Amino acid sequence: MKIVTLIKTMLGLAPNCEKVNQFLGDYMDGSLPENLRTQFEEHIAMCKCCKPYMEQYQRTIEWTHDCRCNELPEELVEHTISFLRKNADYPQS
Amino acid sequence: MEPTKAQQEANNDKLRDKSVGAIEQSNTASDELDIDAILAGDKPAFEQLVIQESPRLFRVIVRILNDDDEAQSILQETFLQAYQRIHTFRRESKLTTWLYAIGINLARATLRKSRRLSSLEDQDVERLQPSFSRGMFVDSPVEWDPGRMADLSDRKRIVRKAIEKLAPDYKAIVILRDMEEYSTEEVAKMLGISSGAVRVRLHRARQALRELLNPHFKKEAART
Repeated sequence: MKIVTLIKTMLGLAPNCEKVNQFLGDYMDGSLPENLRTQFEEHIAMCKCCKPYMEQYQRTIEWTHDCRCNELPEELVEHTISFLRKNADYPQS
Repeated sequence: MEPTKAQQEANNDKLRDKSVGAIEQSNTASDELDIDAILAGDKPAFEQLVIQESPRLFRVIVRILNDDDEAQSILQETFLQAYQRIHTFRRESKLTTWLYAIGINLARATLRKSRRLSSLEDQDVERLQPSFSRGMFVDSPVEWDPGRMADLSDRKRIVRKAIEKLAPDYKAIVILRDMEEYSTEEVAKMLGISSGAVRVRLHRARQALRELLNPHFKKEAART
């Protein structure tokens, strides 16, 4: 970590790793306020622990999205509609 | 002869490709729902809801339950309950959010009844959070191996296994937020919790997942 950032962190003027970690989710979702975002990015750019951690956190999100399963049983909708026609008390049309 | 894991993966990929078109088609129809007709008990209007929402709702339920047959039966039960309780929908959320809340509750109730709970409990998710001492990481994260990360089918299998392990409440949030990309507010309404609770649990779930993936992807320590 850069000496200035390190000193600021030690003096409590900049967020430490634990604090930065708490901001991670909001940062990824774009909901971290501007002033905190700047401090977050300064820390990440300098920190040998938080930078790889954030990259892995980001990959975890991307890979989770990649696992979205789209496989559907072929007659899923038909079966559901038949089930409803048989079991739901549909009003007579 | 039983298909190998690789063959099963390949078949699943084919099925996925085939069904993506159907899902995209159903998404474009999202504005065509006649909510007033559905609320009035109109059968064709309700069946349009079934046609439109079944693919996405099935994906959510099957990931929670990790069982295709059970997911199909919960999907049918969800629509049945929705139809029978349609008069209780108050337009305080989207109709689909209300529908998904029914489906997710049924899926979670099924998990609880069958005691087929995920292997991780809430306290295990806690254990998978990073540790800090005086505000600094206790263990420096080890870089991940680009070679291992590049193997797509193996990676998907590993990530799916990790998601399956999450405690039910965390798993539902990851599925809805990171897989299906619902907003924090929509997820909060579906699960009946605050937006703040969604944000906190999502962060903890992602960190737990990262930790579960870590042994599979980290670089081997250099041999001396």
